Parts: sequence; C-alpha cells; structure tokens
Amino acid sequence: MKRNRSIATRALALVAISSLALTACGRDADDSGAEGQGEAVSEGEASGEIEVWAMGTEGEMLGDFSQSFMDENPDADVKVTAVPWDAAHDKIANAIASGETPDVTLVGSTWMGEFGQSGGIDPIPEGLVDGGDFFEGAWGSNDVGGTVYGVPWYVETRVLYYRKDLAEKAGWNEPPQSWDDFKQFTKDLMDKGGAEYGISLPPGGTGSWQTMMPFAWSNGASLTNEDGTEYTLDSPEMAEALEYYKSFFDEGITVAKTMDAGELESGFADGTYASFISGPWHAGLVEEAGLSKDEYGVALLPGPEGSPGTSFVGGGNLAVFADSDNKENAWKYVQWLSDPETQQGFYDEVGDLPAVQSAWDSGKLADDPQLQIFGEQLASTQAPPSVPTWEEVAGVVDSETEKVTRGDLSVEDAIASMQEQASAIGTGL
Amino acid sequence: MTTTTVTRDAASAPKRSGAPRRGPARGTDPTRRQQAVAAWVLALPFVVLFLAFTLGPVLAGLGMSFTDLKRVDIRNPFAVDIVGLDNYTKLIQDPLFRKVTLNTLLYLVLGVPLTMMVALAIAVGLNRITRLKGFFRVGYYLPVVTSIVAISVVWKFLYRENGGLLNSLLDLVGIDGPAWLDSTALALPSLVVMSVWRNFGALMVIFLAGLQTIPQEVNEAAEVDGATGWGRFRHITLPMLRPTLLFGAVITGIGYLQFFEEAVVMTKGGPLDSTRSVTFFTFDQFGYGNYGYAAAASYLLFLAIVALTYLQFRWLGERDSK
Repeated sequence: MKRNRSIATRALALVAISSLALTACGRDADDSGAEGQGEAVSEGEASGEIEVWAMGTEGEMLGDFSQSFMDENPDADVKVTAVPWDAAHDKIANAIASGETPDVTLVGSTWMGEFGQSGGIDPIPEGLVDGGDFFEGAWGSNDVGGTVYGVPWYVETRVLYYRKDLAEKAGWNEPPQSWDDFKQFTKDLMDKGGAEYGISLPPGGTGSWQTMMPFAWSNGASLTNEDGTEYTLDSPEMAEALEYYKSFFDEGITVAKTMDAGELESGFADGTYASFISGPWHAGLVEEAGLSKDEYGVALLPGPEGSPGTSFVGGGNLAVFADSDNKENAWKYVQWLSDPETQQGFYDEVGDLPAVQSAWDSGKLADDPQLQIFGEQLASTQAPPSVPTWEEVAGVVDSETEKVTRGDLSVEDAIASMQEQASAIGTGL
Repeated sequence: MTTTTVTRDAASAPKRSGAPRRGPARGTDPTRRQQAVAAWVLALPFVVLFLAFTLGPVLAGLGMSFTDLKRVDIRNPFAVDIVGLDNYTKLIQDPLFRKVTLNTLLYLVLGVPLTMMVALAIAVGLNRITRLKGFFRVGYYLPVVTSIVAISVVWKFLYRENGGLLNSLLDLVGIDGPAWLDSTALALPSLVVMSVWRNFGALMVIFLAGLQTIPQEVNEAAEVDGATGWGRFRHITLPMLRPTLLFGAVITGIGYLQFFEEAVVMTKGGPLDSTRSVTFFTFDQFGYGNYGYAAAASYLLFLAIVALTYLQFRWLGERDSK
C-alpha cells in the first residue's frame, strides 16, 4: 500500500514538473505578420553535399536524373533518398521537430501551410525564380500568408473524362461548355447514349472536395479571404455550386455510392458510368480497363457560363529546410529543377506534368492532344488555401457535402454548418 | 459447495506471492541486499524501456491534453499555452465526438454479447464432441490469426451490393439485398457481424479451457438428481465459468471500445460518419495535427475503458464476498 502510494506521488510529481516546464513558456504574442523572402543566392556553381528527400516514383528516378546537375556543378554531390508517400508527412514533421533535416524536400502541395507556418522550411530567396513562369494555381499553393515557401515542381489537375462513343450516339460531337450544357450532356448520355448513370460524382468521403470545389471555384467562390486569415465558405456562389452538385444526385444522373478500388474504371468501361472527373493518372487506368483512345475523351471542366471552369491543382513543391546546412546550394539545385529544359527532361523520363508553363510549348507535351487539354486546364486552376488547418476543414467540407448528397440536410444549412465549424477551427495563420 | 471453493482458490492465489517481502532484517542482511541489487539489475532493461517508451509518452500525452499543442508547434513544443480542461469540454460539446461515442457504444453493446454468446455456444458444442475436435478448433481460430486488413477487404466484397456473395445468396431466395455498407442503418451492424466472426475464435479457445476445468462429477451428480441439460448449463456451467467469462468480457470489451481497422478499410467511417469510432476520431485529429485535442480524446477513451472494466468486475466478479 505504502509502495503504491509513493509511485502515485512520484507520477503526480512528474506531471506537475512537466506542466511547470510547460507553463514556463507560452505562445509568443507577435506570431502574426508575413515573413520576408530570403536573401538572394549568389551566382556561380553549386558545391557541397545536397541531401534530397523525394517521394514515390520521383524519389526513385530523381537520383539518376540529377547526374546532369552534378556534371554541370562538379563540386556538388546530390544524394536522393526515396521516401514512401504514406510516411512522408510524418517523416518531414519529425525531421523538423528534431532539427535533423536534409537540405531539400519534395512537399505535397497541401502541406505547405503547415510546414511554412511551423518555420521548418525557409521562404524562397529573392529572385530565385519568376512566379509568373509557373501555372498560377501551382504557384499559389506555395504562398503562405503572403510569403512564398517553395517552388512548384510538378502539377496535376482534374478534367472531365467521358465516353466519346456514347456521347456521339447521344448526338454530342463536342464536349459540353457550360453548366446547362453539362447537365444536358450527362442526361443525354443516359437517355440516348444508354449509360446507366450520366456521371460518377463522389457523394462525400475523404477527398471528395477535390471534385466538388471546382464547381464552386468556377462559380467564383473562394475558400478564404484574400490574406488567408478567415474562411469564407458560406458565400452565395458556394451555395449555388453545391445546389448544382446536389442536383445530379437528386435527378438520378449519378448515384451516392462509395467506390471500391477499380470499380470506377470497370464501370466506365462497361457503360455504367458515362463520365467522371479525375486527374492525369486515370488515362492509364481507363486504358487498362479496356477502352481505346477513340472510345473515351478528356475535356476541360465546364464553367457556369463556359469552358474552362476552374479546376483543382495539386502536385509537388520543392522546399528547403530551415535547419539545412547547405541552403545556398540547395536553392541552386531547386532552381535547376524548375528550369523549363530540366522540367521537359523530367517529363520525358518520369511523366510528371511540368509546373513551368513554357515547358509545355515544345517537345512531346506539345504534340499530345490529350495532354494539351490538361495543359489548357492547368491555366485555369486553384489550389486549396495554404493554411495549416486546411485538411481539417477539408474533412468538414467532405462530411457536410455528404449530408447534402446522401442525407437530407439542405444546402443552406450545410454551408452554414461548414462555415461555423471552419471559423471555430480557424485558418491557423 | 464445490463452486465456491474452486473460485476462492483461484482468486486468492495471486495474493500469496506478495507475502515474503516483509522480512524482519530488511535492508541489513547482506545476502538480501545482494539479491535486491541483482533483482534491480535484471529488471533494469525493462524498467528503462518502460519508463522511456511507455510511461513517458503516456504522461506526455496526459500533459499534452491540457495544452493547445498543434502541429505547427513542432519546432518548439513547449511554447504552447496551458488550456486546462478546455480540450475536454470542447470534446464533450463536439457533435462529431458525440456521434462517434454513440457509435462506439453501439459496437460495444452489439459486439460483446454477440461475440461471447457465439464463442460460448461453440465452445460448449466442441466440448461435447470427441472426433474432429482439433480440426474445428483450428478452423474457428483461423480468423483470429489472419490479418484484419485482409479479412476486411474480403468481407467488403461479400457485402457488395451487386455481385457480392451475400446479395447473390439472397437473390436465390428472391430477396433484393440492400447496399450493406452504403446504408447508414446497416453499415455498423454489418461491421459488427464481421468482427464477431473474426473475434469469437480467441474467446472460444479460452472458454473451452474454462469448460475443461469443470469437474465431470458435478455434472454427473446433477444428472443423477434429474437436472435437465439446460438446468445443468444454467446452474453449473455458467457459475463455474464465471471467472473465464469475466476475463472474456473484459478483453472483448476493450477490443470493441478500440474499434478501428475494420471501419478504416471497409467504410472509411462513412456513410455519414455512421461507422466512425472514437479511435477513428482520435486518429483523424492526430492527422489534422490537433495533438492536444487528440490526446484529450484518447484519455477520455482510456477512462471509458477503465470504467467499463470496473463495471464488468462488479457484475461478473466475486459475488460471495459480502
């Protein structure tokens, strides 16, 4: 008994001590205000060891690809470590927390707000690259409260995939342009084209905002105010877009169903779903499911009054860690990767869509009509707000959208609830 | 008569080990001191690991739950504000947390009795047969050692609306099966059925062992006295199995309170959050980087587990100590 008590006392003491340690410090009051960009990097060749983290295919290919950088800068030694996407976020966060970081990392575009705000990555140096060279939406994902923390590397965006053969049967030789057109198009695909559903739209669930928000963005809605300090989800534009989205469910043009892996592609191939909205990776999946390039097509997302609407842009950015001990040369490496020629070369080797606009003007990319659609759509895109709390608010948007499409929540109530929850969460800037 | 002696013996056994510690010459006898030193040296690796990787994080988590630690604070985790019980009050007011709490309770009240009943029924059955006993035991235990993710993926196909095994079978008898996992009413019970199937094997093995400790003579005596099969089960098997049942209830209860993987793989918490559990909610909050808030949610779950275990001990534990 006595022993037990002394253990309990010690545990309590430990808690008390650690809370004292915590109380000793508090949040700094002057947390707000944008940080300036970094100092410009010097001219000349890069040198020293540059450690790079990259994920997925990029991580596997970047090491060999960087050989030409090392040829140009004989004193520099680029070491690439491949990190799986699943583990990447935590690995970067842990590295920042411990201060043991590499020099450069690939960062998922939706993580910029978090890592930028935590101070783990540095603002990009003055004059490193020209923001105007990049797709606007991709560049925007690096802008955290007025400070730019990274350089876009590759991009992806969402377009409309549709069954060309069914569309022709239904009398559509051109893809739809406006929202009214689009509704008619999907209806015709069912009634005249013979599809079971005109389109497959996600009713809710993780990531469904990436399909829903383009409708809102196209309609002029904005997720936050100009400087990213407040969420503005309850706009009339947002309500109108959600109402339009909901109408596809109400009119039976799409079905509120959670898809298993592979279900969408096989359903697209067998005519269950005549269209869907997705990114560049789906071209390969659709062809694997047995459709040829004559049977399906891609098209710009329709806007309320005409194409192109505003789509979602995702992808990867390059950032340099605040704790890097070779920052100057790390930035030179990033600069090299965002050079149009390097970007084209990387597309040829890996297939990642370049974030630099001029890389699309020549070479293989310019000759591929399907990819040109993606290029055209990329010029009209938005990234989600680069604020630390976006993923949490995205969860709110997903679940309220689901209540509208599946449940019986009205659009007004859903929007009001989104705004209320988002305000309570705050942007975190 | 025999009932009480058996259970009392079992209950008093662990207490005995504590007795010899109080020697008269404690701390002065050199042999004893050497033994104590040796004991501590031997225990040291565990103690160090336990302090560093179990108790430390647990207490850090407790401390965290009283702060507004978020993921942007990772570079200076101590520069956060102490918010007292704010996280806890916010949780209790959070409609989503209320919903997941309700879901978790549903998992518990549906899952635990069902798992225990199925396990007990099969254990009693297996206890009677003599041939093929090992075969059935292995068969029923197999789901327990199979990866939960693999099971969930397979069951997801069984539950599919079109072409799923379950609906194809219903089709044969002319019933148009529903979309099991896409319905807010059916998704949670469907997940419970799957976890019952997966989990009862472990309990069955434990119950089977418990059944074998019941002396044959008691049953025979009752039979001679004219007790029916049900009467013997009700008045002999169940009371004598009570410590085993208690153990089973406690571990199954804890399991269902931490319901997580099945929902992640099969429904991702949907539709409309109808299968989201408290653990899932906590996982999401950690993912969003609300470390303080998530830690508070974990501690509420921990308290719920302690409370449940306490209640189970009260209900199923010793009753004859007045």
